Formats: sequence, structure tokens, C-alpha cells
Amino acid sequence: MERRELLKIAAVAATAGRLVEAQTQHKFFSAEEFAIVDELMEIIIPTDDHSPGARSALCAAYVDERLAEEPDAKVKDSWRAGIKQVDALSKSMNGVPFMAATPEGRTAVVERMSAQEKFFALVKEATIHAYYTSKIGIHQEMEYKGNVLLNQFVGTELAP
Amino acid sequence: MPQIEVKTADLSITYDAIVVGSGAAGGMAAHVLTSHGMQVLLLEAGKKLPIEKELKSMEWPYEHPRRGHMPPDSYAIRYNEYNIRQPPYAKGVNAKHVYSYVQNWGGSDYSKNILVDEKDHPYTGTQYAWVRARALGGKTNIWGRLALRLSDYDFKAASRDGYGEDWPLSYADIESYYDRVDRYLGIAGHKENLPYLPDSIFQRSTRLNASEVMLREKLAGMDRVLTPYRAGVTTDGLKHNKYRSRCYGRGACDRRAGGCDIHAAFDSPTGLIYPAMDTGNLTLRTNSTVREVLVDKDTGKARGVAFTDTETGKSYEAKAKLVVLGASTLESARLLLLSKSRQYPNGLANSSGHVGHNFCEHIMGPSITGLVKDQVGQLRTLDDGRPGGFYVPRFRNLKEKNPNFLRGYGFEGDSGTHMFPDHANDTPGFGAAFKKKVRDQAGAYISMGAFGEVLPRYENYVDIDPTVKDRWGIPVLRFHYKFGDNEHKMAADMADSAREMFEQAGIEIMKLDRTVLTEGWSIHELGTARMGADPKKSVLNQFQQAHDVPNLMVVDGSSHVSASCQNPTWTIMALCWRSCDHIADAMKKGEV
Repeated sequence: MERRELLKIAAVAATAGRLVEAQTQHKFFSAEEFAIVDELMEIIIPTDDHSPGARSALCAAYVDERLAEEPDAKVKDSWRAGIKQVDALSKSMNGVPFMAATPEGRTAVVERMSAQEKFFALVKEATIHAYYTSKIGIHQEMEYKGNVLLNQFVGTELAP
Repeated sequence: MPQIEVKTADLSITYDAIVVGSGAAGGMAAHVLTSHGMQVLLLEAGKKLPIEKELKSMEWPYEHPRRGHMPPDSYAIRYNEYNIRQPPYAKGVNAKHVYSYVQNWGGSDYSKNILVDEKDHPYTGTQYAWVRARALGGKTNIWGRLALRLSDYDFKAASRDGYGEDWPLSYADIESYYDRVDRYLGIAGHKENLPYLPDSIFQRSTRLNASEVMLREKLAGMDRVLTPYRAGVTTDGLKHNKYRSRCYGRGACDRRAGGCDIHAAFDSPTGLIYPAMDTGNLTLRTNSTVREVLVDKDTGKARGVAFTDTETGKSYEAKAKLVVLGASTLESARLLLLSKSRQYPNGLANSSGHVGHNFCEHIMGPSITGLVKDQVGQLRTLDDGRPGGFYVPRFRNLKEKNPNFLRGYGFEGDSGTHMFPDHANDTPGFGAAFKKKVRDQAGAYISMGAFGEVLPRYENYVDIDPTVKDRWGIPVLRFHYKFGDNEHKMAADMADSAREMFEQAGIEIMKLDRTVLTEGWSIHELGTARMGADPKKSVLNQFQQAHDVPNLMVVDGSSHVSASCQNPTWTIMALCWRSCDHIADAMKKGEV
């Protein structure tokens, strides 16, 4: 089987998993909020032909857990308010809420957000942290070779 | 790791020596004095941590519930706060625990039991980012491992440029002790034969990657040197030490606040203290904060110390023929100033009035990050897990005299692939193109930041705050300390020279930071009880004995006469070894 096909299967499986998960209770986000954050994160770091993206790496669930135990109400509020703005922006651009828009319509919303909004920076930073510290991010996407026993350091040995 | 048997402190007897503090200085004093057969009581203010359970340097980020981040009830002071607010920085912060900025580094959850809680340990005065570790081993549990020698360019700097004081010793006096530290603890590096940065007795060096080799070659054309990080790490192993493994290039050396599970990187507990315990001559008491050095009313000599048990709050006294302070540059100064008596109304060993003064360190902040275009899209190499990247030694005021400032600075740098792609946060955009760019550029970044010598000035000092006390009721330090004109001019040159070097090497500059970080940021504070030949202008003689009190020694960085620009840990240990050899011989002859 081709590597690409494997990835497609992984992506489909992850989407199916998400549908089940959407029924379950999240720790901080409502189901609607969670879906928006999950979609934003996948748009920022999508599945491509190299590796699965933020959705498969369960980045939104990681943020949900962190926000559930966050003591600073201002941090929590900035996420809630930001998510509302995403819907508002989508209504003005696409005529429908963010999750009801087409994939192109959603990407256009993120494009607009990335040019002007603090909330985009917040989501992007969280996505980067959650994704590149995940198993998928470290091993599949970045193909990190470290944290193994080495008998010799890698690199060039200098002449004495 | 083998189990250690800890002897219970017997406060009814008079020890040959009490050592205060268990970091690089105190640990070395314990090692050398016990090796001379002396009975030593080592008092550490912090707790005894099972450090190998603390650092988990091989744990993957996703194995930790918060990917290495500390719990939400903890808070680390941010860069801006150090500049906008006044100490004590924990005041008014609504969190259960408040830590210094180091706790904001990646993997902060691994250092929370090592660093002090700022709420318990306030200080006052001018802005200062003071990083303290209270645990067996002190800051050696998280140190950066860069292990450099000083040379006569440093020891005799005053004679070279007319500023300040020479050290009361020269390189020839200390060279054999640097050799002993190298052999006993292990150091990795590459010989360069530089008169201003003497070589150590190196074990197997770490290696440079393609970007670093390229920069090394370009810098050679500018009469500058790029050498593999001189790491205080045993890369070949140490047959005489059963507590430490050799480096296997595996750990999270640069991903977390430091520390090494297998103790290939030097730390004081496994490098010095556990072996000293095996002699049978060392007694350790942790959670013991010394608050005063006690003196004999008749002779004026030190007779012991008073300390508080930080768990019970109870006070105790311990007696010894010799008292050795290795509590850190600022804590040892605090202790001397707190030790007031009828004979010593200005604090102990302070007839010169220099205790707390001539406070100096390294200025840092200016740094550069660039992209090596040849490396974009190349196959991943493994550049992580090295104890360090590279070092560019000082090049200013060696042959020529710089018109703008005295002394010099060096650069610490790193490049190549890391577990976490830091550049992702600086890469614009989103989507598949963003993801690919982060991936393709992962091994192509190179960065370095400078550490420069801060001149010692009498006007830069600490004293005791008249009202504020720490959690145990001990009066705290008050800072009177600012970088001066020489430092700011040097910092401007750091940024200019960094740009010049990257441009010469054809590296695309992505970020050039000219910001000077808050005083204290380098965690290299030095010079509050300096050595000198003249008791009127110095606190200690060349063997780190107090001029005023011959059976009192201060063996940490406070004894340094000037900061140089090289990281101080190896020099602290070499000096301490020399001084402790000297005092042990003198005591055998009955001279102290």
C-alpha cells in the first residue's frame, strides 16, 4: 500500500473518531466551540501527503484540557470571545456560521483572521505547541531522530 | 544508581570543617577537605532531591500530562515584569508558587522542585533577575555546562588596560588545579591553542554539524574561532566515579532547564558529594539554612554557624575549627553581612567595607538567528542531545584596543535539528505551505548569543534590607546594581559583530536582537567578597581565607576579582580545590 493511501485512511479514521467525540463532553469547550477550534487547528496545520495534521494529533483536546485547569479567567475569556468572532466573521464573509461554511469559505475566514487578529496568533501558538510535542508531530512530521543511545556524536570530527 | 548512606549530623561535636552550600563550590570543598581526612559537616539550605527522579531528561513531551509545562497554580516571572516592576517580584502575584524566569523555559515542570519559590525568598532594591536553586547540588543541577578556563588576559586584566584590580594569582598558580578538575569531573572539547582561552584536558569532543563547520571556516578568515561547546560532561566516562555514566548523546540537554539523568553532565551531588560520603568523612544535613557565622568572643575566630531547620523552623548551632562558605556569590555575601557581632559590627570579614561590593557578572541579550540556505530541505541530522552546540571565544581587546569599551565577550551558539521546531512560531502563515516550510527549514537555523564581562564597580553592591525578611525570618538582600556605560557600549558591539559574522558567512539573518536582558539574567553573579593582596581593598587572600578571620573561607564566585567573559563554574572549582589543599596543609601544620 502506498504511504499516501495509509495517510488517507488515518485521516478518515480520525474524522470518524471526531464524530464520536463530538457527542462526548469536553472539559472546557462546548461541542460547538470544540468543533470550531478543532477545525481552525487543522486549517493551520493540515494533513498533507507527508503526515497527518493537528486534528489527528488531537491538538484541540490538549488545549481543552489546559483551559479547563487554567486559573486565569482572562485567558479563558479570550478563547471564548475569539471563537464567537470566528462565527461572526464567517457570517459576514460567507453568510453562514464557520462550521456551516464550505472548506474554501473557512480557509478564507482564517486568511482574514491571520492578517488582523490576536486570536489567530493565540490559536496558532497553541497549535504549534500541541502539534510539535505530539507523537505525530515529533515522529511522523519532523522525523526526529534523537532521544536514542549514540555511541558517537553525529557530525564532523575536526582535525586535531 | 548506588544507594548513599547519609550520616546523621552530631551537633555536640566540633567538626574539622563546616561547609555551607552544596553546589560547585561547597561540593568541591567537601570533596577536597574529606580527601585530606578531615571530618566535614556539609549544610545545605534546600532539600535532598532524588535528582534522577526529577529531571527525566529522556521522557518524551507527550508522556507528560502538560507536555512538560508546570501546573496551573505555578507562575514564572516574565521578562517584562523584571523591567517594569520592582522586587520583590512575587508580591501581588496571584499564584500558589512563583518562580524566576528560568521556570518559563520549555519543560519547566522538571525544574520546579529545584528553583526556589520567590514567595518564600523575597529580595528588594534595584531590578535584578536573581535565579536561585535550593537543593542538594544547588545550581549545578540545572547549569548550562559550558566549562571554560580563565587566562592571564583575565587574571591580569587590570595591568593590561588599567581598570580595576589584578587577581592575587596568575594562570600558572591555578593551571594544575584546572587539570585536576578536568580529570576528576570530565570535560569534552577540542584543542585550539588559544592563549586567551586555555585548553583543558579534554575527553572526546562533541561534533559540529555542516552549518557550524561552514561558520568555523568563515570565522577563521576573520581571525576568530568557533569551537565545539566545551562541556563539563564526561564523554569517555570516569573510572573513579560509580555514580556517573558517560554521555550517550540522548538527553534533553537543551530542551529543558538542564540536568542529566545519567549524570554525564557534571552535577555536584554525583560528581563530588556522594564520592566524598564514601570516604566516611562527610556528614550531610539538608534543609539547614545557615543564618550566621558564629565567632569566638576572645579570639575573634570563627567557631561555627547558627542555622534554621527549614522544615521545623527550629534553630541549631554547629561547631567547627574551620568554616567554609560556598552558598553562592550573593548568599555568602548576605551571610557575612548578617554575621554582625561586637567584634565585627559591619559584618564578618568586612573591615575593608568591601563585602557585597564590586558585584559583577556577565551581560547578555544581544543575539542573532539566521538561516543557512544550503541546509533547507536537507535530510534530518541529529543535532539534539549534544551537551551543547558551539562557542565563539572573545576576540575584542586582545591584540587591538577597542575605542568604545574595555574587555570582551564570547558567543554561545547552537544550530540544526531539534526536537521542537522553535522557528515555527516565527514562520508566518498557516496551512500546508506553512507546515512544509517549518519542516524544510528545521535543520537550517543557526543562532548565537553573547556573554560579556561586566566591570566590577564599588558602587554596584548588595546590602541587608532593614525591614524585609524571608519566610524563616532572616533579613533579605537589597540590590544596588546597574549595568554601566561600558556594558551598554559592549552590548551594541555584540549585535554589530554578530551581524558582521553572519553576513561574512552568507547566512540569511532572520532575527537580530539588540535588547540587553535584565541584570542577573546570565546567572553568573560574581565578586561580592573579592580576593586581593591588600586587606584594605579586598575581603579574602589568594587562598580565599578572610583577611580578618583566618579560619573562615569563602570559596564561591564571590571571591572573583573580575568577571572575565568566560563562564565561571570551572574556575570556581579550580580555585576552591587550590584553597582547600592549602588550608588542609596549614591545619596539619597547626598554622590556622
